[in-house]
Amino acid sequence: MSNAAAVSATIALIGNPNAGKTTLFNALTGENQRVGNFSGVTVEVKSGTFFTPHGRKLRVLDLPGCYSLRANSPDEQVAVDALTGALPDEPRPDLVVCVADASNLERHLQLALQVIETGLPCLLALNMIDAAERAGLRLDPEKLSEELGIPVVPMQASSGKGVLELKQALRFPLPHLAETPWLSHATDADAARRSFVLRLCELAARRPTEDQITWTDRVDGVALHPLWGWACFGAMFLTLFWAIFSLARIPMGWIESGQAAIGKWLETVMAEGDLRSLLIDGVLGGVGGVVMFLPQILLLFLFIGLLESTGYMARAAFLMDGLMARAGLSGKAFLPLFSSYACAIPGVMATRTIDSAKERLVTIFVAPWMSCSARLPVYLLIVPLLLHENEGSWRQALVLFGIYALGTASAFAVARVLRGRLGPDPVHTHFMLELPPYRVPQWRYIGRHLADRAGSFLAQAGTLILGLSILLWALSTYPKHPGDDPSASLAHSAMGRIGNVIEPVVRPLGFDGRTGTAVLTSFAAREVFNSSMAILFRVDEADDEQATRGLLRDQLAAATWPDGRPLFTPLAMISLLVFYVYALQCLPTVAVVARESGSWRWALGQLAFMSAVAWVASFIIYQGGRLLGF
Amino acid sequence: MKLAGATDLEIDSALTLNQAGVGCDLRIEGVTGPGCERLRAMGFCEELRVRKLSSGRNLLCSLCGTRVALSRELADQVLVKMAG
Repeated sequence: MSNAAAVSATIALIGNPNAGKTTLFNALTGENQRVGNFSGVTVEVKSGTFFTPHGRKLRVLDLPGCYSLRANSPDEQVAVDALTGALPDEPRPDLVVCVADASNLERHLQLALQVIETGLPCLLALNMIDAAERAGLRLDPEKLSEELGIPVVPMQASSGKGVLELKQALRFPLPHLAETPWLSHATDADAARRSFVLRLCELAARRPTEDQITWTDRVDGVALHPLWGWACFGAMFLTLFWAIFSLARIPMGWIESGQAAIGKWLETVMAEGDLRSLLIDGVLGGVGGVVMFLPQILLLFLFIGLLESTGYMARAAFLMDGLMARAGLSGKAFLPLFSSYACAIPGVMATRTIDSAKERLVTIFVAPWMSCSARLPVYLLIVPLLLHENEGSWRQALVLFGIYALGTASAFAVARVLRGRLGPDPVHTHFMLELPPYRVPQWRYIGRHLADRAGSFLAQAGTLILGLSILLWALSTYPKHPGDDPSASLAHSAMGRIGNVIEPVVRPLGFDGRTGTAVLTSFAAREVFNSSMAILFRVDEADDEQATRGLLRDQLAAATWPDGRPLFTPLAMISLLVFYVYALQCLPTVAVVARESGSWRWALGQLAFMSAVAWVASFIIYQGGRLLGF
Repeated sequence: MKLAGATDLEIDSALTLNQAGVGCDLRIEGVTGPGCERLRAMGFCEELRVRKLSSGRNLLCSLCGTRVALSRELADQVLVKMAG
């Protein structure tokens, strides 16, 4: 069967947050959309296609979760617009599949009734049937179908159970329009829906009379405890920082050996000349210096993936609400801000779940100050140099923790000031969050998500970073100087001249022209800094990559100003770290902020503000430190 | 002057979710206040069973088996009675 077959119909998946829509979407389409165990993982419409057993090709839309068709937040509005055909370039769906958590029908069926009232053909997917049965619910899907007047398919999307039956139910002709008996003679539609749902649950989803103590209750007894809850929270994050420094060294060793072998092989097979210099100093030195950090970045994504998948993320938001309130934000801002530790782009997009428009704008504004994974390579280069140590120690993990804390504390301080200046919301919003049951992580999706992240990281290393590395190598090699002295060659090169132009701007921060150039190149992507430094400081390949990075550190430690003073004093290194904590050096983030805030002024204002803060903070650290005699 | 009806008196005698004791099994009697639309959308509707699990700045409750965290201000808008 050809994949180019015409789409017969478009179906939309709608349901309360955390009902399992994305899991069902992935099960239907075989795609790999991000699945989490907290509300608001899907904030925009995703689409895919699949074939029914009857050979028809259907297009399926995965809509953001919503509690009702009265949209309260931007992500809910997207779902409502998709149903009404108000989304640009997206026709009204031919059929709606309401995904409901079978153990929560009292709540989830309210939305299903509202969807039936829209006049669209409808089908109910009764998801997580296994959990409902374990909780002692006596479910009667046939009775439900009879009362609602629509097909009902019991299923467990995470294990694929019922997916085939759902595909079979999507046959043509599509289910006829259901009637809405609950609305006849009703003066209050909401009350009519409520009493209909209660009656329906009495008939077809009876609960056991006694509430059972589940293992979620037992875990929450510790995880949400006023004392032990914070202890767990702190222990988890310290473990993360320890893992980034210590555990990641094992796979990093494999990458190092591979790169060293390639470097040696190139040296033996190629004659000395510009091409060999380009491949070894430019390509291998530049790209290799960044690829090295892949295991650490993946560890960070794995950790965040585990927190999302198990359901702990919502508990963290609950714990953090009090702390976030001091910054004028709510616990709901925690999820986007925490995601920004991995990458600010999904973090900024996740702000769509925040009800208050002003709180959302403030969260978008400060999200890039949560140190993202692209800053890690820079921190990991500088921190061991600062402490005069080899890589991997508790002291380094603590300094790294401090760097993250600095970015986070600054983000909270700015959020508090900005939230105060924006004034109160026209409609007061309060914290309310569903805490999903703990679940076993969906390893398959986490694995695929990590593979995607690794793919996109390597693709960036192979395109943007490779291109910039070659450009930097060319700029620092040409025009050629007649002598053999490397520093004279660099001073004569185009890069040396650019460095001279930049130096007056960065000198007050303690950086020379070469460091300034590396900082300038990293405005395209922060991790380019390491490649640039390796090329600009002319580091030769050593036997393994760790030794190469050690050589780069030796070069940096030995680098001096023209008057003989050391260039990378502890003060200059702290100034450099502080600059990277604050500077918004990520053009894709600027574009996403402009889209999400609906204002280029806001995005460019953020870029200008963060760049200015980075410069001023580094200036104060360096000049203040010098005045104090450091 | 409008006289209070029997239902009004019944609601008056109800507690708010905030006032109810931790660990109590409750039944929702009414949802009133500026946040009632959001509360109803989340599932806080009359007749449903709710168990209060903790109190504090945000309180935790179990609504039809689902754990929901909500602020004290919102909990003040949920009127409950002890479940029979």
